[in-house]
Amino acid sequence: MWFPASVLTSTLIIIFFLLGYPVVTTLVSGPVKPGWAKTHVKPAVKTAFFVSLIPLFLFVNEGVEVVIASWNWMNTMTFDVGISLKFDHYSLIFTPVALYVSWAIMEFAMWYMQDDPHMDQFFKYLLIFLIAMIVLVTANNLFQLFIGWEGVGIMSFLLIGWWSSRADANTAALQAVVYNRVGDIGLIFALAWMVTNLNSWEMQQVFVTVEGFNVTPPALGLVLAAAGKSAQFGLHPWLPSAMEGPTPVSALLHSSTMVVAGIFLLIRMSPLLEKSPTALTVCLCLGALTALFTACCALTHNDLKKVIAFSTSSQLGLMMVTIGLNQPQLAFLHICMHAFFKAMLFLCSGSIIHSLGGEQDIRKMGAIQRQTPWTSSCFTIGSLALTGMPFLAGFFSKDAIIEAMTTSHLNAWALILTLIATAFTAVYSLRLIYFVVMVNPRSMAISPIGEGDPQLINPLKRLAWGSILAGLCITLNVLPFKTPVMSMPPVLKLIAVIVTVLGFLTALWLIAPLGARTQTTLSPNMHRFTSMLGFYPALVHRATPKLSLVWGQTAADQMIDQNWLEQVGPKATVTLNKPLITTTSNIQQGITKTHLTLFLLALILVVSMIIF
Amino acid sequence: MASAFLTHPQKVLRLYKKSLRHLESWSDNRHDYRFHACVLRGRFDDNIAEKDMVKATMLLKTGEEEFWTKQHPCPYIFPDSPGGTSYERYECYRVPEWVLEHWHPSEKAVYPDYFSKREQWKKLRLESWDKEIAQLQLEAEVGGPKTEALPPARIDGDLPPLWWQIVTRPKAQGS
Repeated sequence: MWFPASVLTSTLIIIFFLLGYPVVTTLVSGPVKPGWAKTHVKPAVKTAFFVSLIPLFLFVNEGVEVVIASWNWMNTMTFDVGISLKFDHYSLIFTPVALYVSWAIMEFAMWYMQDDPHMDQFFKYLLIFLIAMIVLVTANNLFQLFIGWEGVGIMSFLLIGWWSSRADANTAALQAVVYNRVGDIGLIFALAWMVTNLNSWEMQQVFVTVEGFNVTPPALGLVLAAAGKSAQFGLHPWLPSAMEGPTPVSALLHSSTMVVAGIFLLIRMSPLLEKSPTALTVCLCLGALTALFTACCALTHNDLKKVIAFSTSSQLGLMMVTIGLNQPQLAFLHICMHAFFKAMLFLCSGSIIHSLGGEQDIRKMGAIQRQTPWTSSCFTIGSLALTGMPFLAGFFSKDAIIEAMTTSHLNAWALILTLIATAFTAVYSLRLIYFVVMVNPRSMAISPIGEGDPQLINPLKRLAWGSILAGLCITLNVLPFKTPVMSMPPVLKLIAVIVTVLGFLTALWLIAPLGARTQTTLSPNMHRFTSMLGFYPALVHRATPKLSLVWGQTAADQMIDQNWLEQVGPKATVTLNKPLITTTSNIQQGITKTHLTLFLLALILVVSMIIF
Repeated sequence: MASAFLTHPQKVLRLYKKSLRHLESWSDNRHDYRFHACVLRGRFDDNIAEKDMVKATMLLKTGEEEFWTKQHPCPYIFPDSPGGTSYERYECYRVPEWVLEHWHPSEKAVYPDYFSKREQWKKLRLESWDKEIAQLQLEAEVGGPKTEALPPARIDGDLPPLWWQIVTRPKAQGS
């Protein structure tokens, strides 16, 4: 069956209209009607999800490669910028996934934020974020992608700092902006390079005309942009700090959608990246380092949301490793799987936090499986999916990534780091399940524990179904672009499962009853190192501003005060004239007798001339 | 009477309490913590009868050093305490008391009892204001107050100084 390409464009425009209409209704003067979120927002996102399935089913059924729709926007003599939409494998699968997860999170947020006086504004921000994210995902030129990129960054700032009276929240929002801006330097550099060398921002044109150019500089710029947005090592501290925002924000932005924008950019630009082995190596090593470092930090932290944030960062590192292996489709698969179970983990954490009266420390949780069975079950399913439990969502992507890694002939150091990070994932996942769901209760005796509200349970159920079935659905219906390695030794095939099981066994040994063991940690120094996040924020957040301020002071001091005032300006006249004056004065000092003698001689000469 | 310097018992008690809190942060479960807390209490009780202040001070110094080396890097902080996850979260939603003056009469009519009593309180405030200021000026320290603590009413029938600010402070969320 043939379908016109305009069907895809029309459905996207309908999606934008569905998401934008509730935002537009808030622009009228006066407050919105009570229950606006329930009557306008949730149905809009739900409908947008079902509409987004139409192009997906058509695309899968027809086996189409890509459909691009372009309009002219800004045209100059030498350079054109257009509005260009790309409907391919990535955008058509990610849009329904993002909308499905958003639907669940919006419904959850109606329960979570029901006591907030500005709940409607909160949902408006979420809708604007969603629109920006879809703009980013469907962009076929880098300028349009940049619009979406900055849009999600701004909404992230507004949503992290939602509780603006809290100093830590404001600091975290600013931190997110600054770290993302550092990454944006790379993206803007890449944009500038493309404009000057390739005269275009359209992706198709870039991929074709880049032949013969040294693409390493723009590729590294794109990697820097991805490192900033996707919290890779060096630009990672903003992600755990972003947990200051409400839990729905953490679930939507900082696990499923916004943080994967960096990886998505690299997936989109993978034809450019694969021409630069340097950039791919940087991706591989940076991703491996990020995966291990953040997994280490997750092992010892006690804040539930921060542990899940570190696990997000670790999985983003794994996605970066996959990009480094030149397997963008596998990275994309992991993005989609990760969205389901990570969002579910955050929603479960939100349910637990609300049930325990705002408690986020896992040392004050425990034994909630009978009081909150749905939350506990979904939390367990999400954690198991995260570890790559066979045939859950995470298994299909994670196992494939590790197989691709073990059968590649690339960096063994990166492979070892990734395998250790995989083991650590199992350790901290079991640690979370043990301390939060199992063991004896350590929370306050009287807590508002309960999960009778369908607005809480239904989203968890939907995401649970996604975490169980999404892997199977996507892998059965989408063909891989690159042929995977079909035969390998059994050890390599099973290495992911072996490493995960080893991680579980290690965790079980660590949480065994202490008995006579009085020391609660094996290595206090390592515990301190990982608890303080490797002392990275303490060093960088103090050293960098201090250096900037010192250099600024020196520049101002040297250039303005010393240069213009002392060496060029008024004091320069002193500097120049004083030696002359001193020399002239010195020459004429101490020779009064000579002056008198010369005066007398001159007088005698004049008188003689007059007389004679 | 509070002063700028801590006494020896105060220092010991502060060390004991923060040690217990950090012990709780290290412990995985309650009975484990209870065992170690009892051991810690025993260590403090062993030296409770020490009369030699030099020795007692040296013991305190040793204890502080031991606490410094064994403290938890991320100790447990209650959510609403400074440094906690909910600290100052709802400050932006707290509305000062004078906003009630600006309510529309139709809104005030919904709570007639409260607003009639409020008028009486405002009269009482006007009457007691001069006496409150007089008491504060009388008891003012040279160089200004050292703490935020306010003195109680000294005369029977008087109200404590600045009672209106205390009574009408914005309430915490959920309380």
